[in-house]
Amino acid sequence: MRRMVLALLSLLAVSVAGAQDDPLKVAFIYVGPVGDYGFSYAHDLGRQALQEHFGDRIETVYVESVPEPEVEPFIDQLIADGADVIFGTSFGFGDGMLAAAQRYPDVIFGWGTGIARAPNVLTYMADFYQVYYLNGLVAAALSDSGTLGYVAAFPIPEVKRHIDAFALGAREVDPEAEVVVRWLYSWFDPAGAKEASEALMAAGADVLAFTEDTPTVIQTAAERGYPSFSHYASMVEFSPETVVSGQIVHWETIYIDIVENILDGTYTSTNLEDVDYFWLLEQGAVEMGAAQGVPIANGFVDELTWFEIDHPELGATNAYDLVMTRLEQMSESRETFDPFAGPLLDRNGAEVYPAGYLPSIGDLVGLEYAVPGVVGPWDNEPR
Amino acid sequence: MDVGAVFVVTTLARALAFSTPLLWAALGEIVAERAGVVNLGVEGMMIVGALAGFVVAQSSGDPWLGLAAAAATGAVAGALHAFFAVIVRADMYVSGLALTIFGLGLSGLIGRGWVGRPLDRSMEFVSLPLLSQLPLVGPRLFQGQYLLTWLGLLAALMLWFVLHHTRLGLVTRTVGENPAAADAAGVRVVQVRFFAVVFGGLMAGVAGGFLSLAYRPSWGQGMTNGLGWIALAMAIFALWDPLRAVLAALLFGTFFTLSFSLQDRFAPQLLTMMPYLFTILALTLTAFRKGGRAFGAPEALGQPYTRGER
Repeated sequence: MRRMVLALLSLLAVSVAGAQDDPLKVAFIYVGPVGDYGFSYAHDLGRQALQEHFGDRIETVYVESVPEPEVEPFIDQLIADGADVIFGTSFGFGDGMLAAAQRYPDVIFGWGTGIARAPNVLTYMADFYQVYYLNGLVAAALSDSGTLGYVAAFPIPEVKRHIDAFALGAREVDPEAEVVVRWLYSWFDPAGAKEASEALMAAGADVLAFTEDTPTVIQTAAERGYPSFSHYASMVEFSPETVVSGQIVHWETIYIDIVENILDGTYTSTNLEDVDYFWLLEQGAVEMGAAQGVPIANGFVDELTWFEIDHPELGATNAYDLVMTRLEQMSESRETFDPFAGPLLDRNGAEVYPAGYLPSIGDLVGLEYAVPGVVGPWDNEPR
Repeated sequence: MDVGAVFVVTTLARALAFSTPLLWAALGEIVAERAGVVNLGVEGMMIVGALAGFVVAQSSGDPWLGLAAAAATGAVAGALHAFFAVIVRADMYVSGLALTIFGLGLSGLIGRGWVGRPLDRSMEFVSLPLLSQLPLVGPRLFQGQYLLTWLGLLAALMLWFVLHHTRLGLVTRTVGENPAAADAAGVRVVQVRFFAVVFGGLMAGVAGGFLSLAYRPSWGQGMTNGLGWIALAMAIFALWDPLRAVLAALLFGTFFTLSFSLQDRFAPQLLTMMPYLFTILALTLTAFRKGGRAFGAPEALGQPYTRGER
């Protein structure tokens, strides 16, 4: 018995001594399979880029398809395996992570898309609202009917923010444009996404965008040759001729910044209470386009350049230049241009933000209203 | 043109397209259950069919070869259930559930490398001769559907005929109603049940192939997303009759498509719930089987058969 204790102690000593040179062990918990070609796939691309960036200074591991309510035993196992930092990438991991963070005060946790922090829990998010606004500008310029279709997962603030931004963009190009929304009440429902797209096209939509986890909308729109926008990953392969643009995420920008700060001692397990990443175009966390480096597919550039606009702020211009100007402005800072800047009314005519007001990140994170031009049911709409 | 009529025809067209895989899978399950075997593995058989169909079609460039692979894979998966449920006489509910879980997991694992790109050559729309020339319904209903949609309706008709008007159908139904009597009459009960389940798997495989080769020509993990379970409900709703399965398919499909086209007027949850309400109603009807044999489940449904046991 005594021998065993000694042996264990010596092992412990070795591992403590070795800790100085050990690479920082960073673990990722994914809600879906890395092969989902959507949310978890994008996070895993981020993990790979992170590993490459820091080389042998860190070691990354991941677990996939973790059911949200059962995240705690996975955290226990990762920590038993030596994880120093744990990123839980889904909103639904929050309760389990916050509980685990109390039991493991020395471990640093990152809650992706999360809303609550602790001394050893930070939150992070790469948000697409600016990119959806740019997509909306493009969509309205390409639409003949003035009716844009939008297939959406759940009526939660994140998705509502995307739809609103898309509609604000559309109305800037075509003040009469309508964004018709159909809800799936699911992140993953291929048949639903297909029938929702069909219903939208039957109702007159001739350009489609979406926030859900399959490329179905792109494929369905392509059957009629209608332009569409890809979401999350590069989905241009699903219809190279009809995918105009889309939203691409670069989680690695956030992951690299967080790990950099941990490695140089800026972030510790005691000072993360106020660390909240809400990264946008400005930080390079998101990108406009269906393929990296291509904001607008070549096949659509001419049509957009020919689309003339008499813009109240920019004067005589065209849709392509307008998009590029806005992209440049937002890449500079939110202060330079923000689609949600006041004055802003909701679709019922009530004032949301007064003139000159730039909504805070907090305002945007809790967004519930629908802007003018949005058509369709809207749960929890402020009255 | 009348907006209302256009809406009705468009709804019917979408209902047909959406419910095509449901119809194929439900027809297969009806045959298996008519022979007395419940197979809760429909979802699993569908998804392995979807993957096999996609892989073969993508590799060969021929979607119809893919469909053959989907059907064959579904049949093999069905044979797996038949082995446990009919030959070994293991609990058929557990075996079917296991098949669903196994199919979803295995296809997810094997299918990893096939995620993220569409099928290069998918099935094409067909226009039905003459019918597609009709005004109003022609372009909306009889063009822009896949051949498998029309073949599904034909299959329902043929299966109805076989089940009710041929010796093979009589044998199958007897095995499901009273296997002991069938056995006494010289019918090989185990053999009939085995092949009925394999046939059910084949049909579920076609259903899966329709998804990955036509309806949504790509592969994605879990892409059947519960359609197999709806097909199971449809088999009950149809009261194990192939022609009523067509009605069930249209009903389920109509409510599904309406849950999107009428979303601004009705809560979508309300509409998607309706078919299940009807299914519960159908189940209640079967409980009163004395009210007429037409409303009854096969008498020996779910009971393994062992010669000489009661």
